[in-house]
Amino acid sequence: MASPVSVYNSNAMDTRISSTSRDSLKMELLADVSLLPGEDRITDKDIIYICPFNGAVKGKVLITNYRLYFKSSEADVVVILDVPLGAISRVEKMGGASSRGENSYGLDITCKDMRNLRFALKQEGHSRRDIFELLFRYAFPLSHSLPLFPYVTQEKFEESGWTVFTPIEELRRQGLPTNKWRFTLVNKNYELCDTYPTLLAVPYECRDEDLKRVATFRSRGRIPVLSWIHRENQAVIVRCSQPLVGMSGKRNKDDERYLDLIREANDTVKLTIFDARPSVNAVANKATGGGYEGDEYQNAELVFLDIQNIHVMRESLKKLKDIVYPNVEESHWLSSLESTHWLEHVKMVLSGAIQVADKVSNGNSVLVHCSDGWDRTAQLTSLSMLMLDSHYRTLRGFQVLIEKEWISFGHKFASRIGHGDKNHADQDRSPIFVQFIDCVWQMTKQFPTAFEFNERLLLTILDHLYSCRFGTFLYNCESARDQNEVRMKTVSLWALVNSKRESYLNPFYTPESGRVLYPVASMRHLELWVAYYIRWNPRIRQQQSPVEQRYLELLALRDEYLKKLEELQRSDSSPSSRLANSSSSSATSPSTPSQQYTHLQTPL
Amino acid sequence: MLVENVRLLDRLSPKRSRPGTLYLTATHTIFVEESSSVGSRSESWVLHSLVSSVEKLSSSAAGCPLVVRCKNFQVLHFGIPREQDCQDVYLSLLRLSQPESYEELYCFSYKPNTDERERQQEWELVDLQAEYNRMGLAGSLWKLSSVNQHYKVSDTYPADLFVPESATPPVIVGSSKFRSRGRFPTLSYYCRETHAAICRSSQPLSGFSARCLEDEQMLEAILRSNPRSDFMYVVDTRPKLNAIANRAAGKGYENEDNYANIKFQFIGIENIHVMRNSQQKMLEVSELRSPSMSDFLEGLENSGWLKHIKAVLDASVFIAKAVAEEGVSVLVHCSDGWDRTAQVCSAAAVLLDPYYRTLRGFMVLIEKDWISFGHKFSHRCNHQVGDPKEASPVIDQLLECVWQLTEQFPCAFEFNERLLITIHSHVYSCQYGNFVGNSQRERAELGLRKRTHSLWSYIWDNHSDYINPLYRPGHSQTQGLLRPSTAPYCFKFWRGLYNRFDQGMHPRQSVEDYLSAIQEETQQLEEQLASHKQKIAQLEQEQVWGGVGQRGAAACERSPTAWAPSHSLGLANTPQDYTGGFMTSSPLQSRPFAPPTSSDQSCETCLSTGSDQESGIADVSCRSPLSEDSSRDPDSDEAASSEPV
Repeated sequence: MASPVSVYNSNAMDTRISSTSRDSLKMELLADVSLLPGEDRITDKDIIYICPFNGAVKGKVLITNYRLYFKSSEADVVVILDVPLGAISRVEKMGGASSRGENSYGLDITCKDMRNLRFALKQEGHSRRDIFELLFRYAFPLSHSLPLFPYVTQEKFEESGWTVFTPIEELRRQGLPTNKWRFTLVNKNYELCDTYPTLLAVPYECRDEDLKRVATFRSRGRIPVLSWIHRENQAVIVRCSQPLVGMSGKRNKDDERYLDLIREANDTVKLTIFDARPSVNAVANKATGGGYEGDEYQNAELVFLDIQNIHVMRESLKKLKDIVYPNVEESHWLSSLESTHWLEHVKMVLSGAIQVADKVSNGNSVLVHCSDGWDRTAQLTSLSMLMLDSHYRTLRGFQVLIEKEWISFGHKFASRIGHGDKNHADQDRSPIFVQFIDCVWQMTKQFPTAFEFNERLLLTILDHLYSCRFGTFLYNCESARDQNEVRMKTVSLWALVNSKRESYLNPFYTPESGRVLYPVASMRHLELWVAYYIRWNPRIRQQQSPVEQRYLELLALRDEYLKKLEELQRSDSSPSSRLANSSSSSATSPSTPSQQYTHLQTPL
Repeated sequence: MLVENVRLLDRLSPKRSRPGTLYLTATHTIFVEESSSVGSRSESWVLHSLVSSVEKLSSSAAGCPLVVRCKNFQVLHFGIPREQDCQDVYLSLLRLSQPESYEELYCFSYKPNTDERERQQEWELVDLQAEYNRMGLAGSLWKLSSVNQHYKVSDTYPADLFVPESATPPVIVGSSKFRSRGRFPTLSYYCRETHAAICRSSQPLSGFSARCLEDEQMLEAILRSNPRSDFMYVVDTRPKLNAIANRAAGKGYENEDNYANIKFQFIGIENIHVMRNSQQKMLEVSELRSPSMSDFLEGLENSGWLKHIKAVLDASVFIAKAVAEEGVSVLVHCSDGWDRTAQVCSAAAVLLDPYYRTLRGFMVLIEKDWISFGHKFSHRCNHQVGDPKEASPVIDQLLECVWQLTEQFPCAFEFNERLLITIHSHVYSCQYGNFVGNSQRERAELGLRKRTHSLWSYIWDNHSDYINPLYRPGHSQTQGLLRPSTAPYCFKFWRGLYNRFDQGMHPRQSVEDYLSAIQEETQQLEEQLASHKQKIAQLEQEQVWGGVGQRGAAACERSPTAWAPSHSLGLANTPQDYTGGFMTSSPLQSRPFAPPTSSDQSCETCLSTGSDQESGIADVSCRSPLSEDSSRDPDSDEAASSEPV
């Protein structure tokens, strides 16, 4: 049985530069590359990496069916690139047979993870054509009728990550069903909605036939279903897509009745409908048959959250990349950062989620939707659930949250990321999930003790969002995953994460249930996530947080002292009993170490 | 003076206001909140000397608004029901916040409960003579000069100065006549390892062509005091244009042709007027209620504030590298040599010498480069009514430079942000005598050492409040020269200083608090361990001597003192401390999680006094100091403003 390759991936993909002895270079450059089980070497070649930070570096490149690996052959600097092919967005030829100038002939590779790579090759002998074609083929397997790597890999883990989340267990954990909410399997065969999971939680009084009629009035049949219920006040977060109001202002009595049932379930006076879009966009959607809830919904209030669409977000992140890679804009850093609007978008998403959480914790049920209910809606429901429910702030709970609100409810990962697909300019691609993880990171910065997991987990998730090493983020929805037997044939990212839990734990974590976290979504508090967006820049110090390091050291020291104390007490036991007898009147004898030990257990 | 039914408005959410009573005393403005519940009376005290401006806004139905802005960036927004009251308060505050003479300053009336001997000792804590010894001047080519005794040569310089051994009094005096305000080149910092020195002066009176032989000899003497190097840098911290403009007024900068073996360098730090305006703009941004991304980032960029901080740090890095890496001495000046020069010399010293990154060392540094060398605190900080054009946040910038460094090197500084903020406050408050006056001579004439208290001693007495739990003296980061990155994205907005009074704007959780708690816990365990060992030793002795139980009891009573934390602040070392001591040794009530409670039955009585308030184990809400804040009041933070109307 193959053992899991233990690499901290974002590190492994990092450009490592260190000086090394000549001896090690005499060895075959690519001999020590550790491949994953099932990973096959496709080709290797002498190549020059045009490093934006160190200039041209000679070396060798290895291409497998999973990664592009480069190692320099120069003595003074060792440059290693380890890029999963899944992270590649675009491969282009640079320069022609006739182009002059040093290193002007080669390959330009655009990556999805905030960097570009440029390689130069010798002009003679079709060497570029071969490598280009192989790279193109294996980086975009779906465009070449090849299987995605997760179907090829032989990686095995003790725990299958697929058991982390089962819809029924998670809903039961929330205390469902209740006398107001029931489970339904009306979508068992994805007949009601092909982008929803099979198990749904709906108002108790609503019959399956009613659900079907509601589905006709909601974009792509994505009816309002329960995402989360507040244990004490029974307020719920319900998610759906936009109503099909259209230009003529169509109404649907079943939909109106359905929303009223949601409201009645905990006697909310007014159901708050959060439309994530800017109101202009919501109005514009009427032209294509969509729209928003109007006055006919009598006991509802509609709030627009002004979050921009996937195209705006894509362009914003692109601009951000322009100012941080390869060189960080220096002369007008703050206004350049401002001009990307990335932080502004993060702020809008976060403050939207705060409003959702605030309503719910005050006992008001809410309905959240955008257009299709799989991008902005997923961001809002998952972030507000993270604020409301401390379970999702644990390492496992966070996995459940992603599995539930993103994967099972059909965030179109395949379209947004474009796994194995060569159409780099596809307008469906957008970093919605990256933005969500950024929001989570902002929360961890503001509440350093509230999350069981650390920044490394967030980086790992984002790395494997693209890497195509695991099946977790493949396909757009559950029906497609069923069809392609993802859970049978591939390994889950959570299998890797849970096999080395310790490295993803936050030492400052202090469990506190029942506390609602309200981050401050103000410009003074939102920061650019340098450790992610600028991590390829060698000037960024990649250091373990000194605070975290110091804390861990002190924890270790404390444990050491405790142990010593215990030992002392043991060796001391007979005289100390004598002491206790002789001086019992002083009432100062210390409690025994074992007692102290239990009390010293700080809740970490 | 007393005004009732005043409302104190929350700056971030004006809808929220607290009713109460406003008192004006001789020294303070006090707002006492009417409280619904007993025991939660909340008071806001503002020293008159901290008030920077009072503004009366047009009155509305809610009353007459009065805005009080403070030098420590607190902004108080009062609503006073009666126009006449408001006018009275306004006029009184205007008068009270602008003393016309030194004698009115708060430091002369501030009388904490200490006797005269203790008060005198306060001033002995920071000793510059000892500091110059520490630098290692003893065996060097530098000597203490008495030339400025009684401030004869330069009335803004300290009396005791170090000059090159080869500089004779006529050379010094000659040089001083060629320098603005007689501030001749003298030693600020000496690097024992490289023998290079940082010297400071004011600009030379060179005009377009004037020369001064003694001044040239003075610089040569400085160069000779560093025998290993064959040239020295002269750094003019002004922008070149400003320096050239000064030539027209008969001042200017050194001509490389006239001075042997100097390398002359401009490092453009702007003047006090530019800095004053820049800070004003930056503060406008920090006062925005809920800035949009572009309001905030563009406002911050347009203020230029972070760019100026970067300029100061860039200059300091240049000097520190020259001294530590090249082993070359540097003469630094600006115009008068008491603003930019003080900033750059002290920031370079922080980069160079780990000692200045300790609590004591930093106090010494401020005393040396700022107080003794005549940074004009009273003018720059507007301690009394005076020319507003003389005011400038020069010291603010130094403190911020150090703060930016602490952000880049979290383990390198023994002190924390709180120290910087405390110093900042008291530079302006005039509660202590340290920063009153504009020069050593003025301070001597005012008799400050005889009549006021010293901030340094206050800080030292409370030093556990100012310790950075991350500080690691042995860490590589802590040693030698700090090499900060001065790329623009490394400079952050200092929320902790400029928005420190805006509750709800700060993170609700601080990992530093956790660190402090665990550090303290570890330390106590270590002490407990020591006491156990001691006890065992005694018991063994007891066994050997077949002693009686009496001795054991004695050992027990002694032991608490044996491990009492060195920094415990006058807390009783009763025998109960032996087990209950975990609770009493911390000066902070709001620790995230306190050390454990003991279940020892015999000690229940002492625990009942200690554990409830302080043990985080028992009381979850103690775990994060501000956890109550996070049960969010929709008005309480800025996010609320984006809420639907």
